[in-house]
Amino acid sequence: MAITYDAIRRATADLYAWSLRTVPDDAVAALRAALDTETAEQARKVLRFMLTAAERAKSDDTYLCTDAGVPSYDVKIGTAARIDGDIRQAIVDGFADLCATAEPPILKFVTNPLTNQRSFAGKDMPLVTWDVASGADHVEMTCSPKALGTGRWASIETFVSPSLETIERHVMECVLKAGSQPCPPVVVGVGIGGTFDIAAKLASKATLRRLGTINPEPILADMERRLFEAINATGFGPMGTGGDTTALGVHIDYASGHGYTPVAVCFNCWINRRTRARIHDSGEIERCE
Amino acid sequence: MTVTPAVQDDLPRLSVPLSRGDARNLALGDVVRLDGEAIVTIGMPTHQRIMAHVAEEKPLPFDLGGAAFFHLSVCSRETPAGGAEPLYVNPTTSTRFNPYLPTLIRRFALSATAGKGGLDMDCARAMQEVGCVYFSMMGGASPLLSEGVAAIVETAWDDLIMQFRLTRVRLAGFGPLTVAIDAHGRSLYDDLARNARAKLPDILAKLNAGRAAAR
Repeated sequence: MAITYDAIRRATADLYAWSLRTVPDDAVAALRAALDTETAEQARKVLRFMLTAAERAKSDDTYLCTDAGVPSYDVKIGTAARIDGDIRQAIVDGFADLCATAEPPILKFVTNPLTNQRSFAGKDMPLVTWDVASGADHVEMTCSPKALGTGRWASIETFVSPSLETIERHVMECVLKAGSQPCPPVVVGVGIGGTFDIAAKLASKATLRRLGTINPEPILADMERRLFEAINATGFGPMGTGGDTTALGVHIDYASGHGYTPVAVCFNCWINRRTRARIHDSGEIERCE
Repeated sequence: MTVTPAVQDDLPRLSVPLSRGDARNLALGDVVRLDGEAIVTIGMPTHQRIMAHVAEEKPLPFDLGGAAFFHLSVCSRETPAGGAEPLYVNPTTSTRFNPYLPTLIRRFALSATAGKGGLDMDCARAMQEVGCVYFSMMGGASPLLSEGVAAIVETAWDDLIMQFRLTRVRLAGFGPLTVAIDAHGRSLYDDLARNARAKLPDILAKLNAGRAAAR
């Protein structure tokens, strides 16, 4: 038994289709918790509509957003997994399957940045990050299609030996710049250190962490709590029309690096699209999120 | 799509295109549903093409005079009869169209605009001049918004991808929508951005205090 081209191809299409219809349960729980603490009546209305939309996407088996996003996958290959077939090609073909068969159809969002032409295919599509998991005998795939609403607010700035104060102030500036626009309440991802590319990846992956989990690094756990309160004090509120609920969570990760310290900040909108599955060598696709 | 019981709530219903009176009576924060007809697109090329038509004084495929013009994405399917049925809809961020909207609002005396994320104060001033509002649609609430789009009346500029086409839609209980820029030059977005900026020194001071206490 091995993990086959066919299994990865199927998982690629399934994960995407699921992600378009699902607000993850931790995000739903966070929206409900926000409803308990939100003091602005207008914002409470918007939060209730969001919860209704999440339920209806599930009960009606339909999409939350018209923007199907740019196809993005994180793939972790277990070092004990046996692979049979070209799984890189399987992801390309699985995404093509999705575009051809999605019901209802998805719109064209894959964009050539040189011409701004949009289609269902393009250079380096889907975007895949490959990683290795020590000891695991499966392949784990996360699909998090990123749409324009939040994607456009991601940024990175490189500091030299910044203090925590400098980092936190920078995060707040990014939050103020995005303001009402990234479909709040958002999950804010922050990546600190490493190199330019690593910081961006850390921030992006941090948004995928389950809401309500505690950061194992105490300095960052404290920073997450502080920034969560600070961001919710800005007042942008649900859908950016005012309220106490601008963020559902702040997730930060870091890597050691040099004295130059890139700080990446990115956002996930309230529907917090992400799905994850393990592909086992029995051919089973085990949906985890 | 059919209108299901979910839209039969107690939100006020207005007809679009709005009368100037209706537009001017709306207040920031009002939550409403709409019936009637709107012209929608999310295309940057579409806005640029409209601007070119305006500059050359060429007629548009449909009259935008007094219209409800929304930044709404529509996915539709062709019907055997040769028309199109709406499948699902959702708004896009309006702010990227800030450079074009003041011209369009004034030139066509639009009565309503809509999208998510807002428009800038140049747009708000143009809206005040002509008596036009901006409705915030909820991004990610496609299941709710879609059931309020009863039909696609017609599309134009079909050389563009589906969501960029200029599309006339018939609305029936479309919403919920929040009035976020009124017809009197007031903008929730501008208020919130300025408040947040004004609060920032206090917010940063609290961050500093929290950090000092954590040590």
